[in-house]
Amino acid sequence: MDIATYKRDVWGREVLLGVSWDLLWLVLVAALVIIAGHAVYMAMQQRREKPSIEGKRVQRHETTDRVMHWIMAISILVLLFTGVLPIIGIEFAWLTLHWVSGLVLTAAVLFHILRSVFAKDLMSVWISSSDFKEPFDDSHKPGKYSLAQKGMHAAISIVALLVIGSGLVMFAMIDTPWWDRTNSLSESTLGWMFFVHGLTTLALIALIVFHLYFTLRPEKLFYLRSMFKGWISEDELSAHHDPERWAPDESA
Amino acid sequence: MASFDVMPDVQLYQPAELDDALSLADRYADDGWLLGGGQDTYGWLKDRAKHPQAMIDLNGIEALRGIRESGDGLEIGAAMTLREIIRNERINRDYSLLSVAAEKVASPQIRNVGTLGGNLAQDARCWYYRRGLACYRAGGNICYANAPDSMNREHCIFGASRCVAVSPSDTATSMVALDAVMVVRNINGERTVSAEDFFVGPDTHITRMTSLEPGEILTAVRLPSKWAGQRFYFEKVADRNTWDFALVSIAVAMSMDGDTIGDSRFVCGAVACTPHRLRNVERAARGRSLSNESADAIAPMASEGAQPLNSNHYKLPLMENLVRRAMRA
Repeated sequence: MDIATYKRDVWGREVLLGVSWDLLWLVLVAALVIIAGHAVYMAMQQRREKPSIEGKRVQRHETTDRVMHWIMAISILVLLFTGVLPIIGIEFAWLTLHWVSGLVLTAAVLFHILRSVFAKDLMSVWISSSDFKEPFDDSHKPGKYSLAQKGMHAAISIVALLVIGSGLVMFAMIDTPWWDRTNSLSESTLGWMFFVHGLTTLALIALIVFHLYFTLRPEKLFYLRSMFKGWISEDELSAHHDPERWAPDESA
Repeated sequence: MASFDVMPDVQLYQPAELDDALSLADRYADDGWLLGGGQDTYGWLKDRAKHPQAMIDLNGIEALRGIRESGDGLEIGAAMTLREIIRNERINRDYSLLSVAAEKVASPQIRNVGTLGGNLAQDARCWYYRRGLACYRAGGNICYANAPDSMNREHCIFGASRCVAVSPSDTATSMVALDAVMVVRNINGERTVSAEDFFVGPDTHITRMTSLEPGEILTAVRLPSKWAGQRFYFEKVADRNTWDFALVSIAVAMSMDGDTIGDSRFVCGAVACTPHRLRNVERAARGRSLSNESADAIAPMASEGAQPLNSNHYKLPLMENLVRRAMRA
C-alpha cells in the first residue's frame, strides 16, 4: 500500500500529488482494533463505584468554552464529511461547504488560542512531567485535565493546526468571493500541501474516532455531560481529580 | 509530449450481446474504455494520454441500435450514428432540434461513424487536459487553463469549480432542452436519469463529464412526447463551420399557444462544464410573443451571473445574441 500518489508534471517530472486514500481504510481498521483492545482490557478491570451526581456542583466548562467546543466539533465533522465522502464515491458539490466550514474552524481555533492565552489558565492543559505519574499511581490524581485528556488535546491541536495551515494554502488556490485563484504555487509545492492536508486528515480521523470512543465510555460520560451543561458533581470531582491541583468555581 | 501514430497495446473486445459488454465493463471498470465511433477515443490513445487496459467496442451490439416508439415518445439506441439520426424521418418531423444539432457535429466523415452515445459522453476539450498534463480533471492539483497567461478563449463562463473546461457536445444541449431521459445499465440492472442530471460539473465530480459510473453503459436516450413537434431553435457558433467545437451554442424548445410562448427550455453549450440552462430566460419568455422587442428585453438575462476568464469575455454578448436570435419571429 502506497503512502502517497504521484503524477508527471508539465516537464515530465514525477511530482507528489497527495496522500494515498487507501490509507483511510488502514487508519479506520487500526483505530477500531485499538478501541476493541482497550474495551476488552477495561471490561476485565474491576469496576469502580460510580461517583454520585447528586449534591453540590462545580463548574468545569464555562458557556463560552462549551459553545466554542461544539462549533469546532461541528465544523470538523462537516470538513471530514465533505472532504472524505466524495473520495469514497459519495458525490455531491462539496467544495464550498468545505472551505466555509474550514473558515469557521479557523476562526474558532484562533479565538480559542487567544482566549486560552489571555483569559484562561493555559497551563491547566499543558502536559507536565508530574502528569506521567498518573497511569502508575492511583493516588496521584490529575488537576483539571488528566494526562490522557492533555495528550488528546495536544495531538488534536497539532494535527488541526497542520490541517488548517495546509488548507489555507489550498484555499488561496481556488476562486472565492474575495479573490480569484492565484495558481501561484508549483505543482510540487501544491503536491506537498495536498499530502500534508491528506495525511493530517487521516490522523484527525483516527483521533476523532478515539475521542468519540472515550467520550462515550460509561465511566467518562460525566465529562460529556459537563461539555453540555458545564458542571460536574463534587463527588465526581473528588473521585477523579485532585482538588489541590484544581480548585474549580463552586457556583455552578 | 510525443504523439504516436499507432495504437498502443490494448485488449480489444467486440461483444455482440449487451450482457457481455456489461460484464466486460464491470470487470475492467476504470481500466476499460467504451468504444462508440471512436472519434473521442483514438486521439487519447495515440497521444498516450489515457491508458486503458481494454477497449470494449459497442458497435456490434444490436440492442444499442434502433429508433423506436417508447411509452411516451421516442427511444434512440446509444450506438446510432449521428448520420442515422440526421436522416431519420420521425426525428426530423418531431424532434428536429436533435437532428439539427447532430448535423452541426464535426464533419460528414465523423458524423458517419460517430454515435449519439459517444457524442453525449465525450470528454472535455481543454487544451491542457488533452495534452496529458496532470490538471485537476486528470486527477492532479492544478488548473493550467485558468492562470494569467492561459489560453482559455474556449473555456467556461459559468459553473467553474477548479476546472474550467466546457461540455463540448452539440447534442447534449438539445437533450437537456428536450427533457430527455438517459437509460443507463450495468450488470445489476437499469437506471434512468434526466439529461440535466446526466451531465455533471467539476463541483460534483472533477474527473468525469457525466454521471456514468465505472461499469455502466449508456444504452439509449428517451425523448418525451411533451416536446414533439414544438418550436425549436438551434445555433452553433464556432471558428469555422465544419469540424470544430462550439464557442457558444444554443438549443431552444418552446411550446407555443398561438403567438405566445408557454413552457420553454433555453440551453447553452460551451459556456459551462455542463449544458447550461437559462432558467431566468425561460421564466421571462413565458407569456411573451416572438418579436424583436421580446428578444431585446430578454437577451441580456442570458449572461447574468457569468464569470468570464481572461480571454473569453466575448462569450457574454455571444450568448445574449443567440437568445435574441432564438426569440425573433
